[in-house]
Amino acid sequence: MFDRDVWQEIFFTLKSNKLRTFLTGFSVGWAIFILVMLLASVNGMQNGFTGQFNDDATNSIFVRPGTTTKAYAGFEEGRRIQLKNDDVAYIRESFPNDIEYISGRYFTNTSARYKSETGSYPVQAVDPEFQIIEKTIITKGRYFNDADVANAAKVAVIGRKVREDLFKKEDPIGKFVELNGLSFKIIGIFTDDGDDNAERRLYAPLSTYQRIYGNTDNINQVALTYNPRYDLAKALEFSDRLEILMKRRHKVSPEDQSGINIWNYAEAFDNISSFSAVLSTVSIAVAFLILIAGIVGIGNIMIFTIKERTKEIGVRKALGAKPSQIINLVLLEATFITTISGFVGLIFAWIILSLIGPAIKTPAFSNPSVSLSTVITATIILIIAGVLAGLLPAIKAANVKPIVALNDK
Amino acid sequence: MIEIKELHKSYKMGSNSLHVLKGINISIAEGELVAIMGSSGSGKSTLLNILGMLDVADTGDYTLDNVPIKDLNETKAAKYRNKFLGFVFQSFNLINYKSAMENVALPLYYQKVNRKERQKKALKYLEQVGLKEWASHLPSELSGGQKQRVAIARAMAAEPKVLLADEPTGALDSTTSYEVMDLIQKINDDGNTILIVTHEPDIADMCKRIVHLKDGVIVEDKKIEQVRASAYV
Repeated sequence: MFDRDVWQEIFFTLKSNKLRTFLTGFSVGWAIFILVMLLASVNGMQNGFTGQFNDDATNSIFVRPGTTTKAYAGFEEGRRIQLKNDDVAYIRESFPNDIEYISGRYFTNTSARYKSETGSYPVQAVDPEFQIIEKTIITKGRYFNDADVANAAKVAVIGRKVREDLFKKEDPIGKFVELNGLSFKIIGIFTDDGDDNAERRLYAPLSTYQRIYGNTDNINQVALTYNPRYDLAKALEFSDRLEILMKRRHKVSPEDQSGINIWNYAEAFDNISSFSAVLSTVSIAVAFLILIAGIVGIGNIMIFTIKERTKEIGVRKALGAKPSQIINLVLLEATFITTISGFVGLIFAWIILSLIGPAIKTPAFSNPSVSLSTVITATIILIIAGVLAGLLPAIKAANVKPIVALNDK
Repeated sequence: MIEIKELHKSYKMGSNSLHVLKGINISIAEGELVAIMGSSGSGKSTLLNILGMLDVADTGDYTLDNVPIKDLNETKAAKYRNKFLGFVFQSFNLINYKSAMENVALPLYYQKVNRKERQKKALKYLEQVGLKEWASHLPSELSGGQKQRVAIARAMAAEPKVLLADEPTGALDSTTSYEVMDLIQKINDDGNTILIVTHEPDIADMCKRIVHLKDGVIVEDKKIEQVRASAYV
């Protein structure tokens, strides 16, 4: 294989048929290019999905109330379900072993003013444990704690974007900002792995908001994380139990999905994982079909080359070349073209990905890239493809009868 | 060196078969220089092809250097050809992208001789045919006579038992033909067994024995007084 004479011959044939070599190689290079781009795209989508999910803890569940669509237990349909603080306490007490963190969630909007800067932002009034559920990262200062909740302290944690809007270059920690006319002390700044919108938002203690804006104990949502040691099956089983319990508590029909909706990340994540698995399978299949076309192309060209070189092969056989040596030569040539052109396709795809990859940043698609394992797989596929492409022509070459080849009269 | 007994060969040509060799018996000793003559269709090329293991006889025995040549598969034939035979063709059949030296070294490559040794031997044989200075030239840069001399050097490089030449001067003018024959005679003088297929009487006269084929049988087999080609060069 590492024989100088063999390589000299291969290079000669390739060199003397530059256009043919290029066209042949192109088909395989193109196939690999498509394969890599498809895989990278699927990878990008996966990254996009998981990126969105990583915004929150992957073991989180949201209990979302709505309006009933079925009459049940003596109630008519169309009843609005309202969650209250005691729902949080009830869930916590009902599932002491299943729940890791739990928090009520109250959504509102506020206008905010600091000196001459104003803005309008969503506010999430939550309990301190929500920091972990939402994976909020505090870059400066602190999140509110149980003492702030107990005192219904007028404190707020602001997003990085809010800070940029209102405070410019000033350090906001300890400063007071007016939210709907009431003065709140800024105690922390957060960033979020999600998009910019997730950072253009404020967090405040749930108790504070409930007291000063309405004096209720209503909440919009219950967010919780379950025991992180749970696998998917156990997580689903737990969310089913939670659903049954909550529906019973609020007298919602077990079949009514809009009265109370339990949204489980694990389930959604599982759906998306299998979706992207199907997607990668489909793209691999498509790329393979294209690759087959490339292999046929190479095989075709090799047969043609051998027809042209029949005489030379005949001479070699007359000089004592064994059929295996002829097969070796042809296979090596086919594998060589396939591998080289495949790598060119691979490198092209890689260059394009590294140029445009970082530029693409939408929620659904981020950082499309090829892993080392993809590259290794592609290489193995290429070598196999080369051997397949060369096999038929090689056998044809080995069967060249020297007498026919040399019949020059 | 060569023993042929009752050799038959026929070719299928559509529905009818063409009986080309109809029982050839011939014995060639070591060191002979034999011309096989005959008109086209006489079977002389078929005989040479069978001797060269490029073709297989239907029936009959063929013994080469006391080795019975039978039940040949491709690999075995390749091995025997490499070990026993050197070929010289009418159209030279040099590989056009290899230099003269590489062409001569090719049979040695198939004998798995290492590269250095191959080059040394190839140069030695090129020197013998008087083309040492042309070692690095491609066949396209050589004249017809030079090409045939390279081909002869290539045939000799593997140190074969028998040299088979199929119309070696067929593509050359008479002066060049005599130069090539001079070379063949010298190689024969060194004790090598050589068979030449030719239809040119003057070339045949430069051999030591002439075998005449007609319609697939030997009609004449005589030893002659060799005409030295050097007289014409």
